[in-house]
Amino acid sequence: MLGEGLVPTPWQTLRAAYAMWADGTMTTDLQASLARAGQGFAAGASTGIALGFVTGHRPRVAALVGPVMSFLRPIPAIALVPLVTAWFGIGERAKHLVIAYAVFLAVWLYVHDGVARVPADHLRAARTLGVPAWRRLIEVLLPAAALSVVAALRYGASLAFLALVAAELGGAQSGIAYRLQIDGQFLRTDHMFVGLIELRLLGLLADALISAAGRRLVHWSSS
Amino acid sequence: MSTLVQLDGIEVDHDGKRAVATTDLEFPEGSFTSLLGPTGCGKSTLLNTIAGFVTPSSGRVLMDGAPVTGPGPDRGMVFQHYALLPWFTARGNVEFALKRFGLPRAERRERALESLDAVGLADAAEKYPTQLSGGMRQRVALARALAAEPRVLLMDEPFGALDAITRARMQRLLTQLWQRTCTTVVFVTHDVAEALALSQRVVVMAADPGRVIADHRLADDPASDRTAPHPLHARIVAQLGTDS
Repeated sequence: MLGEGLVPTPWQTLRAAYAMWADGTMTTDLQASLARAGQGFAAGASTGIALGFVTGHRPRVAALVGPVMSFLRPIPAIALVPLVTAWFGIGERAKHLVIAYAVFLAVWLYVHDGVARVPADHLRAARTLGVPAWRRLIEVLLPAAALSVVAALRYGASLAFLALVAAELGGAQSGIAYRLQIDGQFLRTDHMFVGLIELRLLGLLADALISAAGRRLVHWSSS
Repeated sequence: MSTLVQLDGIEVDHDGKRAVATTDLEFPEGSFTSLLGPTGCGKSTLLNTIAGFVTPSSGRVLMDGAPVTGPGPDRGMVFQHYALLPWFTARGNVEFALKRFGLPRAERRERALESLDAVGLADAAEKYPTQLSGGMRQRVALARALAAEPRVLLMDEPFGALDAITRARMQRLLTQLWQRTCTTVVFVTHDVAEALALSQRVVVMAADPGRVIADHRLADDPASDRTAPHPLHARIVAQLGTDS
């Protein structure tokens, strides 16, 4: 069984949260973690979306890129941490890379699938109407794949936090997961609970923001 | 009438199999032709070849004497499942076709509303496709295709997904539009009565391999108010029966 004091009460957790906020570590950690997750997510999601549109629309490119992705996908982001650390040290770039990697693979898969499923008749109709390629991209492909892009971003965001933890456990000077590890060494479980709750809330917030933006943008599918 | 579309000895192969055997056909300007036949006779393939979606393995498609190399706005298309863009309203779908003319926004809007009015949908201009019935959706698709001012309108079983009553209404509407716009129409169907009701000419096709087996020229008057079965009906049914 767990020892005395290893499961903090809500009150203890609240007090720990206040202490962490008061001494400034919470702000520092939140800033560091959000910057990492945000930058890694932005890099991974944008490249994943871009490549997803290319491979989804061009089966020949997909035939080249697909096997590479299938090879990479089973490698968990966490397994990359030692390698990336060896290459880039424990600086921010290494963390961005780990997060971007995880986000990129997931976002690519969803977007690729969504673009590949865009009804051929939509694109054919556009071509017989003399709609040039750039307008077909903006007015046909983008809206047709929009639901998949939203799903991809939601899943990508959850993976960003997962990879964030892996990256920070691999060596950092600040951050929510870094703090969890330090607190773990001192068995400060009340502080650790605060960290877990922070991660949960950030994940919820990111998901809510992306879905709300998605519902606004993809207004036609709800009717 | 001068020839607008010419199929010059085209053959189409699909997955190593001959989908359409050597075919020569001419479609005069302003004519209404039906390609009639059972599933697999290559009628849709021929239509897609004219549209530029399918490249023939030999022979050429000529549009006004110039070889067709890909899809273009001179050859409009109406699809069986409408192919409307769900994120645009009915008006948005028509404007989607009008944008290539580079009109000022107000004029584009005006013309889109006129096009919708011509198919009896003035009141539904701001509705999204999901809010429209099948017949209304196909009216929007028709308005959109005609708004781009194609020289030939290619129709791929456009009324195949509609109920009988809506279908009859759409056939009447199509005849009216054709008479008004003088657009050349190539109409694919497997319905003998529909082909006879609409067309000036019925090209009968058979499968394995897809080929033309008969070319009937009907009286020049539009057939919109025929009530009795067309005298050719039994003959075409017999042709379809023996050759497919």
